[in-house]
Amino acid sequence: MDPRQRPVLHRRIGAMRVMAWGLVALLVLVYAWLQLVRHGEYRQIALNQAVKVRPLAAPRGLVLDRNGHRLVDNRRALHLVIQREDLPTRPEVVAALAEALDLDPQALARKVQSYRQAGKGRPLVLQENLDESGIALAERVRARFPFLGVEVAPRRVYLGDELAGHAMGYVGEVDEELMKARPGAFHLGEIIGKEGFEAAGNDRLKGIDGQKRILVDQLGTEVANFGQIDAAPGRSLYLTLDAGLQKVAQEAMGEEAGAVVVLDLRDGGVLALYSSPSYDPNLFLNRLSQDMVDRYLANSRTKPMLNRATQGVYAPGSTFKLLVGLAALEKGVVTPQTQVYCAGRKNFYGRDFRCDKPTGHGSLSMVQAIAQSCDVYFYELASRMDVDDIHATAEKYGLTERTGIDLPQEKRTRIPSRAWKKKAVPRDPKWYAGETISVGIGQGAVGVTPIGLARFYALLATRGKLITPHLFLGLRDDETSQLIPAPVPPVRDTPLDPAIWAVLDEGLYEVVRGGTAAASALKEITMVGKTGTAQVATFVDRAHYARQAKALKDHALFAGYAPREKPQIAFAVVVENAGFGASSAAPIAKKLVQYWFLDRPVRPLPPPRGKLVDPFAPPPEAPE
Amino acid sequence: MKERFRALDPRLLWVVLALIGLGTLTLFSAGRNTPQSGIWLKQSLWNLMGLGIMAALAGADPRRFFRKGFPAYLVGLLALLAVLVVGRRIGGSTRWFVVLGQTFQPSELMKWVTLLYVSQRLGSRPPDQVTRLDLLGAVGLVVFPMLLIQRQPDLGMALSFLPILLLIPLMKGVRARWIAALVVFVLLGGAAAWNFALKPYQKQRVMIFLDPSSDLQGKGYQVNQSRIAIGSGGLIGKGFTSGSQTQLNFLPVKTTDFAFSVWAEERGFFGVLIALALFGLLLDRILAAARVALSATEAYFCAGAAGIFALHLLVNVGMVAGALPNKGMVLPFFSAGGSSTLSFFLALGIIMGIQHRARLK
Repeated sequence: MDPRQRPVLHRRIGAMRVMAWGLVALLVLVYAWLQLVRHGEYRQIALNQAVKVRPLAAPRGLVLDRNGHRLVDNRRALHLVIQREDLPTRPEVVAALAEALDLDPQALARKVQSYRQAGKGRPLVLQENLDESGIALAERVRARFPFLGVEVAPRRVYLGDELAGHAMGYVGEVDEELMKARPGAFHLGEIIGKEGFEAAGNDRLKGIDGQKRILVDQLGTEVANFGQIDAAPGRSLYLTLDAGLQKVAQEAMGEEAGAVVVLDLRDGGVLALYSSPSYDPNLFLNRLSQDMVDRYLANSRTKPMLNRATQGVYAPGSTFKLLVGLAALEKGVVTPQTQVYCAGRKNFYGRDFRCDKPTGHGSLSMVQAIAQSCDVYFYELASRMDVDDIHATAEKYGLTERTGIDLPQEKRTRIPSRAWKKKAVPRDPKWYAGETISVGIGQGAVGVTPIGLARFYALLATRGKLITPHLFLGLRDDETSQLIPAPVPPVRDTPLDPAIWAVLDEGLYEVVRGGTAAASALKEITMVGKTGTAQVATFVDRAHYARQAKALKDHALFAGYAPREKPQIAFAVVVENAGFGASSAAPIAKKLVQYWFLDRPVRPLPPPRGKLVDPFAPPPEAPE
Repeated sequence: MKERFRALDPRLLWVVLALIGLGTLTLFSAGRNTPQSGIWLKQSLWNLMGLGIMAALAGADPRRFFRKGFPAYLVGLLALLAVLVVGRRIGGSTRWFVVLGQTFQPSELMKWVTLLYVSQRLGSRPPDQVTRLDLLGAVGLVVFPMLLIQRQPDLGMALSFLPILLLIPLMKGVRARWIAALVVFVLLGGAAAWNFALKPYQKQRVMIFLDPSSDLQGKGYQVNQSRIAIGSGGLIGKGFTSGSQTQLNFLPVKTTDFAFSVWAEERGFFGVLIALALFGLLLDRILAAARVALSATEAYFCAGAAGIFALHLLVNVGMVAGALPNKGMVLPFFSAGGSSTLSFFLALGIIMGIQHRARLK
């Protein structure tokens, strides 16, 4: 090397050595900053992303019928979820995720937003009850969206399918409106009863969610469990329903629309409550397909979601005559012996009111008038009273109030009065006497729910006991599986005059013995009841009526109790657009009575034969 | 044989062995409970092989290598061209040859070959006889392979050639106006590169570096998790094989680019001090070799090698701490990899040979 160059080179290499140690010092400073100054902050982040608190969903309680048959069971199901701390923040990620899963992007974005704002609770469920192809899809999608997880959670399985759709209802995630309406009552993503007894009994059925602290790896897989608070399952409970009787009601209704209610007169327990067309609650546990929305929700003409037993308000037709007769006897406008002549029609206030029998019934007493369902007789009774008299009697015997059944959104019956008309028809608030004549045969503005009608006939059967219909029989002791009976809901005593009661009872007996429902008499059991035909539209004559479409045909009703000597059950049957009550509704009542008193096995039935839902099977198809 | 081992500079050797020790521990912990659980063993084989090469080269006369500088450079260029044609495409870039099931990255070796040849060219004449044209030629010799490598594309590797240009100020000294010119060049070149040369993913890296929290789920995720690992390590670390970030796989590519984060998390700031001190000693010993080198060529080679090691140290250790953009530059002795390990040992072998020749004199 050039001797002149060496010292220069040495100096420069010396400078490089200084720079090298400067570089090391610089890096030391960077690491001191991260590891000493900001250590606490990063320690917390590392802890937060590795140690997670995961909610443990509490299984809801089982629901059994009065004989211990399961109406709803719990199975394990797999859900595709996002744990709340992993919720994506960037809108494009949410949009891409929605596209990958075929979800509505805006709805998903809203949901992610609200879950991020909520403090605690269950993870956001993207897809419920994954089947095999769903799991495969989930795995594929997880490759792109590592924050997705698959969670095992209990899931409802309604064993009877459509057997008790309206009575049971179904469960689902609590919706935004309900959360707003009752702040603090629910947490986001909570599974609550949406309809039927699932909703009414939600507080008993729901358990208390537990939680566990776990160590997770980058994929969210549990590596270690630091401890957990187990979920407390909800209470299992017995319903008053009898699955066998319910099945009879379902089969008897067949394809017809309508409702069946059977009440236990001892305590007001509901033995059967069937609304037709029914629905399968299992279908509502999954995301609704367009097909299902069309079938069930989007203004379907048959209104399958309506619980006709508690929410259907029907003109009671002739079944109302018992109340009119009761009012007339109590008010003393007639006596049981009073004879009224029926010529097939009668003129009141200048208008002709027709009897169902054009040739007329001749002279009748009240018992005969009930048995033959003579309209003229009850027009006459109505004409001797004010509508407010009828309303007062209805009010006294509980027909104007809700029955108080433990199902959500029960409708009130509608018994017109002057005050009612003022409020309901402000255009024409005056009550016309002619309107009272229509009320006399259960037409006009009169409307009752099947449950309300059954309760009124239960009152007749018990000579004045006003029961509260209910589905809740009692909790199940989780160790012994024995029933812990719940207190019977209040029974109000509104005693009927025995003489008056005897007339009504006799009339109802004659209906089935030799009157309008004679064809539905049973040899072994004396069933009593009243037929009813509620007009849906007005017709010129019978030929005109016969030509009408089914949707415009009369509703058929039958309400009564059995056995006459010592009544045990009361019932109401409504068959929509079926024609005359005696030919459609009374035979259904006959089948119910036949089953309950004659065919019912002494030993409980095997569980209802519903298909068992496999969590790995594809979601159930909508029924044909 | 004995002679060969005597040629090894004991002080440099101890530093290297200590760094290999730290690196092996790191890889053992990083590979634990992953499909790469044997990576520490595999890397140890590379290290043994590297030590063998180092010992062999240390005993040889370094002038032999410098004489072969030009043909080696030509072969290197051909290899870089060939890899673009027949190389294996992995993860979007074509950087590797596949030989006997092993991947081999020619650009790793080319870095040292280029340094070797440029040192030889610049050191063969006294500094005052080296013309501007010669300097320009040297710059061209460095830039041409960089461009080829950027075709793969592999920006980190291309940038690791830059320390070779240190030889020019080393020889000619630094003047203020050069520094000013450099600043202007970097600014203009940066702007030009941003608009014309950088690939979208490279631009993204720069953007994420400027704002790491902008993309926590995507590219920024890696650096962010690495910072969490380092920061949560604290003063004394979480303990060997006990780093939550490492063991629960939050830390990405932890056996290569982010191996140092594993060390920092599990050994804490004390461990970082030890590692950085060792790297400091490594650079110091290499520069000491430059100082005693008998010829300018040899001194240039050692100084350039120190620059390359320093750049790897700066970029990798700075990158995993989030202080520098994610460039994908490996950290010697920590990051697993055959080509890079062998290349580093090869350079160290030549450096020891240079020192050994000086000591014999």
